[in-house]
Order: sequence, then structure tokens, then C-alpha cells
Amino acid sequence: MGLLRFTAKRILQVIPLLIIVSMISFFIIRLAPIDPLAELRINPSISEETLQKEVKRLKLDKPIAVQYLYWAKSFVQLDLGYTSDGEKVSVKLKERIPNTLLLTLVVIFMTWITGIPLGILAAVKKETALDRLLTVFSSIGMAIPSFFFAILMLMFAVKTGWFPAGGLTSYNYNDMNFIGKICDISRHLVLPVIVLFTISLSGLQRQMRANMLEVLDSDYIKFARAKGLSEWKVIFKHALRNAVNPLITLLGFEFAGLLSGAALTEYVFQYPGLGRLILEAVMKSDINLVMASLMMGTIMLVAGNLIADILLLLTDPRTRKSQEAK
Amino acid sequence: MKRMFGIIVFFILSALVLRCCIRADVPEVTNVKTVTPDINNISYPDDNKNVTLNGVDYIQTQAPVGKFGGELVLSTIGEGPKTFNPCNTKDATSSAMASILYEGLLTTDAKTGKVIPQLAKSYYIDGNDYIITLRKGIKWSDGKPITADDVLYTYEEIVFKGLGNPSITDAMTVDGKLPTLTKVDDYTVKFTTSKPFAPFLRQLSYPVVPKHYFKPYSDKGASEFNAFLNTNTKPETIVSNGPFKLKEYVAAQRVVFERNPNYYKINLNNQQLPYLDKIVYLIVGDTNNGILKFEAKELDVISLNGNTVARYKEREDKSDYTIYNLGASTGTLFVAINLNNRKDKNGHYYVNPVKQKWFRDKNFRKAVERAVDRKNMIQNIAFGVAEPLYTAESPNSIYLNKNIKGYDVDTDKAKKLLENSGFVYKNNKLYDKQGNFVEFDLYTNAGNLEREALGVMVKQDLEELGMKVNFKPIEFNSLVNKLTNTFDWDMVIMGLTGSPLEPHDGKNVWTSKGTLHLFNQGVPKNECFEWEKELDELFEAGALKIDFADRKPVYDRYQEIIYEQNPVIYLYSPAQIYAIRKKFKNVFPSALNGLIYNLDELYIEK
Repeated sequence: MGLLRFTAKRILQVIPLLIIVSMISFFIIRLAPIDPLAELRINPSISEETLQKEVKRLKLDKPIAVQYLYWAKSFVQLDLGYTSDGEKVSVKLKERIPNTLLLTLVVIFMTWITGIPLGILAAVKKETALDRLLTVFSSIGMAIPSFFFAILMLMFAVKTGWFPAGGLTSYNYNDMNFIGKICDISRHLVLPVIVLFTISLSGLQRQMRANMLEVLDSDYIKFARAKGLSEWKVIFKHALRNAVNPLITLLGFEFAGLLSGAALTEYVFQYPGLGRLILEAVMKSDINLVMASLMMGTIMLVAGNLIADILLLLTDPRTRKSQEAK
Repeated sequence: MKRMFGIIVFFILSALVLRCCIRADVPEVTNVKTVTPDINNISYPDDNKNVTLNGVDYIQTQAPVGKFGGELVLSTIGEGPKTFNPCNTKDATSSAMASILYEGLLTTDAKTGKVIPQLAKSYYIDGNDYIITLRKGIKWSDGKPITADDVLYTYEEIVFKGLGNPSITDAMTVDGKLPTLTKVDDYTVKFTTSKPFAPFLRQLSYPVVPKHYFKPYSDKGASEFNAFLNTNTKPETIVSNGPFKLKEYVAAQRVVFERNPNYYKINLNNQQLPYLDKIVYLIVGDTNNGILKFEAKELDVISLNGNTVARYKEREDKSDYTIYNLGASTGTLFVAINLNNRKDKNGHYYVNPVKQKWFRDKNFRKAVERAVDRKNMIQNIAFGVAEPLYTAESPNSIYLNKNIKGYDVDTDKAKKLLENSGFVYKNNKLYDKQGNFVEFDLYTNAGNLEREALGVMVKQDLEELGMKVNFKPIEFNSLVNKLTNTFDWDMVIMGLTGSPLEPHDGKNVWTSKGTLHLFNQGVPKNECFEWEKELDELFEAGALKIDFADRKPVYDRYQEIIYEQNPVIYLYSPAQIYAIRKKFKNVFPSALNGLIYNLDELYIEK
């Protein structure tokens, strides 16, 4: 019951947040001196009438507040509108979301199954050669900018010819059999996954190590050790459970980044995901598309936090207590 | 101590690595002369012939007979096509895709630029009448015959009604009147214009579309029609008449075309073309990625620019590609000067009245023209692969006025011109008659490296004259807003693309009522300069004359005026250079049509 009420309350809180975020972003985009029709205006073969028609269609002749209300009205009706090229925003997003999800899910899965064990290992073997080595690697991973690393990887692909230079599928993809298709996609995914994996792994591994060290230092662990429990039991039964809590919050953020976290890498690898689409939309001030992606980002972030909080409630009795006390 | 040693070793190593990188990055100084236009040596095949086989009027190419099969992988920069509806294309990529799918009655000869029949079997002009004979027995990709009804439908229900992209409707309108179209018989149609209008003939290259497929959608009105044939259309349902039909479209990845078995072109052995099985367009986000993909052998053709061409040329002999320089492109780069002397709604001048006096002074503009060093710009910015430009028609235009040779940079002459107009020098700084220091802003769109570099060079050249130039690259959209809306600019570096075949397309720039009359936007007729009035008259007169020989002097004069008055100072036209894999044969590059306009004739030598 408590959980349900908590969730309902949180979802209601989202509504004012969405209104504020949408207003701020709408006005920022519209007040910026970007003209979505600039390309058309500078084209000698476009007549004045055509321009006027486009202005009407995009409602650029109306005041910004009115434009916002139009947008908000259709958004509430779950209609995301049309892009400035006249394509449906929802269709465009639908084309790209699966591609981005494929990439980010693979990366998150790989990061978590390697990051957590490595973090634990580094904490347990604190200040040994192994820990130092892991520190060096994670420092490199954290320090290297993703786009730069992506470009290096692309050069590598071109020089060796082992991997395709960007994209998601080969041009003859549709003529391949099922296994061929899987191999083709995997081959295209290797490099972007390596880039994103290296970068997010470092953060997660460092976080896990720090959490674990903190817990290992606490009194109850010392007590458990003093009691003569095996090291294995101390770490996995007692320490890990407490060390993992902050990571659940992190998982919430990972969820938020599912659709937007890989934009730069996507751009460099010409990956047909959301990042490329939205970058282009921002440059052209394609308002419906930009707004749709911003709203999506906000909802994902809020949803991610909510999921993390619920998970915390389920895993950590202490948070449950404080919730009930309220 | 050990740590210190490690750090030193690390630095030495990284210095070595960096050194290698730097070495590799400095472009080798090659003789850029080796990439001068080489298309003059291309031997084009003879003109196409009409051949009738089993009652079908085929078009027969005279190009060497090739082998069937294989595919060609091309690239398109950006986000890919927005639509496959040939009547509703508004961007270059969509137009390129649509032009593979749909062909028009007439087309342009790649070698001479003449208008030649395509879907039409022949045409002739009789005064204001354009009589077009259609081919008998040719078919749409779904097997239905292509008839006069399709032509009538295309023009009467789409073009004349302004459905889709209305720019074609504008282009066909003469004095506010559209031409009429009558069906003479099942295979002959007749267009009649209200008065002679030269640009009309080339408009007949507009794609002809199948009535049985398009009509249900065009009947539903503009918005339904605009959504028709969007990128979510199932490829197998599209009915077309081009050499290739759509096979597959994957958003942000590729567009694949496969051969249309009903195409009406045959080779010398009377076999139906095209040779290739497939044309693949990879959608790449930017030119750099295109180059990477070419080097990774994922692409067969790549467009090269100045800074990559030297490297490619050097490796050409040992490689599997050939480089073609098609000569100057239709792109032009120029400095425009704002001659606006009017006030806005609030009574403020768009341009500071002090500056107006300079800009509206012919000698001042001429001085600027004589001070810009085009050769230096071409050497340093375009890496030598460009042609200097002195007037509005690009060097490959069939209407180029070859008598305008242009002068080399001459700063002394420029200074003399300024002094003739009463400008004076104090401490090498330029002041006008009233003692105002000559200082103004020069804009361009930020992010375009070529134009930014040009800005710096123009600034330097003009500072030689004692002027102070504040060079301000600003965001593209803001720049367009300045040029078309707020008019608060002094000088701007821009580029426009013209048509090498039809100078009348420039009317929006050069006539005083034009929507892109940049240098004096929105000028009322009675405030025009004399030469602006003459330009208006020339553009009107040029459109009324049909014969090339009659039109040429008119457009020669318009170019003369521009070079004399210099409201726009042209700088150069970059060359179009392409690399294509050697295995492709029947490549006949043309300055007018590009490298591979003849997709149906290309074949692979195995």
C-alpha cells in the first residue's frame, strides 16, 4: 500500500516538472535567433509564396506563447506533431529508438557484469599491483573524451579493415540469412560498444570500489571478521549488500541515459540512432522533434529515479522505515 | 626517483608519437597543376538514337556494350531523403533519389547542354507551341503503358495546380499565366505558352508520374499528396519509370535501388539496360565519414575537396580508383555589398548613412574588387583547385561571358579609384570626404571553414587599402535573417548555386523585385540604380527570346553590368573532383551533369 501511494505521489510530482521543463526549453529554442526556414530563404528558386506557406504551416507567424500552447495541446493528446520536413515525429523516433536501445542495453549489460566484480576485486585487493593496474585503466577510461576515442577507433577500423567504418548494417544486409544478419550487426556494434563500455566501466568500477572500501572499513565488518567468518562470506554476504545501495541510484541514471546517453559516439560512428537525429534537429531548430526528445529525456530521467527509489525501498529496510515514518 | 624516470620516459615517448603524427599530417606540397580539368579529353559516345523493336520505341545508347550485373555504392551526405515523391522534393538528396526513380519528357545533353528527348521520342518548337511525340509501347515498372494521359495528368493536375513543391509552377508561369496543354493524339501532346518564354523548354524535364498510381492521392488535396510516397512507403508498391526502382530504404543507413526490367533504353546489341543490378546510396552524416568509408572500400565514388585531392592524386597510380576533375562547379563564392539606403518602420536607416555613401559609390566598390587577391585565395584556401570568377555565371555555364577576363589584384589602382572619389589617406588610414574613418563589418556563416578563411583574406586585402574590416562569422540562421529580414549588414561573404544552363534562374537575385536581391533587397522601382533597371529589362528580354544565339548577347550584357558595378564581387568557383573505382566503365564525366549521370550505362569490368 505504502509503495503504491509513494509511486502515485511521485508520478503526480512529474506533471509540474514536465510543464516547467517544456516551457523553459520551448522558449529557449524559439527565442534563439535560429530560423527553421533559413535554408529555404537563401535558395534562389524558392518563391515568396512558398515561404509564406511554410511560415503558416510551421505557425511561425504566431507569438511564441501561442505556439507553445498549440504544441502543449497536441502533446497532451499524445500527438508529437510533424517535423519541419513534414514527417511525423513519432514515426521518426520509432525508427531510431530500437537502434539506440540495442546499443545502450548491450553497453549497460556489459558494464554491469564486468564493472561490479572488478570494483569488488579492486577493493578487496586494495593497494596491490592489481588494484593499481585497474586504477590506471579506469583513469584512462575516465579521462579520454568519448568522441576522440571514437575517432581513434574509426581510424583503426579503416586502417585494418577488420571492422566496418560506422553504421549498423551492411548494404546487402537484407540478402543475408539469419546468422549472417546477427554477425553483421555484431561486427558493426563492436567499436561503438568498446568506446562506450570503456568510458562507463571506469565510473562504475571506481564507484563500486569506493563503496566497498567504505563498507569494508566499518565496524560490523571488523566484527564479522573477528567472529571468524570466512572472507568470502564477509564480502558477499555482509559487505556487498550494503555497498550496492548507491549503485541502485546509479542504475536509475543509467535508465535515464538509455535513449540519450550515447549521442556523441553515435554521431562519430554514423550510428542510426536518436543522437544523430536530435543533433540535426537542434541545428535546424526543428521544434517538434527537439521538444519530443527533450520530453522523452525528462520522462526517462524521472522514471529512472522512480525505479531506483522503488528498488531501494525493496532492497534496503532502512529506507522503508523512513518512508513509513513519514 | 623511479617515478620521475617513468614520467620522463612517458613524455619522450609521447613526444615521439606526436612527432610522427605531425609529420604525417602536414600535406605534401604537390604540383596542383596536375589536377586541372581533364574532361576535355573525354571522348563521349555519339548521340542516342531512337530504335523501334517489336513496336516499342526504345532509346539506344551508342556507348560501348558492357557486362550485366554488379552494384555501385554511392553516398549521400546528411539525413537521407525526406520523400520519394518526385513532385514534392525540397532538398538535394530527395531530388537525387527521385530523379533515379522518375524521368521527364526531355533532359540535358551531358556534353553540349542541349535539350534532348528522354521519355519523349522527339520534340519540335513552332512559335509558342511545343509539340512532343511520346514513345510507343514503353511501360511503367508495373507493366502498365506510359501514355499521353500520364503526361496530361502530371502537368494539369499536379504542376498547374501547384501540388507538391510549387517552385516548378512558378517557373512555368509567364506573366501570371500558365501554359496550356492539349492532347493531339494518344502519343502526341502540345504545350502552348502565352508568349515566347525561353526557360520553358527546360522545365519539361519535370518527372512524368503514373496517373493510375498518383491520382487517388492527388485527388485528396495538398496535404495528402505531400505525405504520399514518404519514406515509409513500401518500396515494392512504388510505380516508376526510371532505370532503377526502389528496393529498400533504411532510415539513416541506406537507400537501395534495383534495376527496372521495363526501362526503355537499350544498348548496341539491343539488350535492355541498365547494366547494374543495384545502386546503393549509403547515408553518411558528414563528408569526413564519407572519405573514411571510401578508404575502407565501402564506397565506390567520393567527392574530393581541395585538401584531400592532393593526397588522393599522389596515390592514384597505385590505387584502384581514377580521379576526374570536372572543372569549376556551379557553386560561386562572393562578397556582397549592402546598397540599401532606406529606413525601417521605426525610421532608422538599415545601413548607417555614412557607410551608405561609401557602398553606393561605384569607385569604392570597384576599389574593393581590385583589391581582393583571387589567385592567392585559390592557392591557399582552395588548394589550387578552383577557378577565379569575375561575374555571376559560373565558369561551366553555357552563357558565360568569355570577354570578361578580369584583372589581377592591383592595390595601387584601387587606391587611385578611392582617391578619385574624394577618399583621403592619413597615416595609411582611409578617410572619406567628411573625415569619417572607413570601418565596416564583414559577415559570413560561422562553421563554414572555407568562408571563414576567405573572410580573413578579404579583410587583409582591404586593410591594404587602409580600411578597417571587422570580420564577424555568425551562425548561419542569424546571417540569413540579416540578409533577408533586418538588412543590417555591410558586407557579407556568401555562396550560391546557379544553373549552368539557364541564367533566368538568377532572376530572384538580380531583378529588383527578387526575393534574394541581397545587395538592395526590397528596393522600390523608382529608387533603383539605372543599372538595376537595366538588369530588370535584360532579364525580361532574355526570357522572351527562344534562340540561344539571340539570348547570349542579353546575358552577356547582364554579366558586364555586374562586373562594371560590382554590387557583388565574385571570388571563385571550386572545382568538382571525384574519385571512382577503376572497375567501372562507361564513365563519361561532364561539367554540366557531373560524374555519373548515366547510371543506366555504367557497367563493371570483371
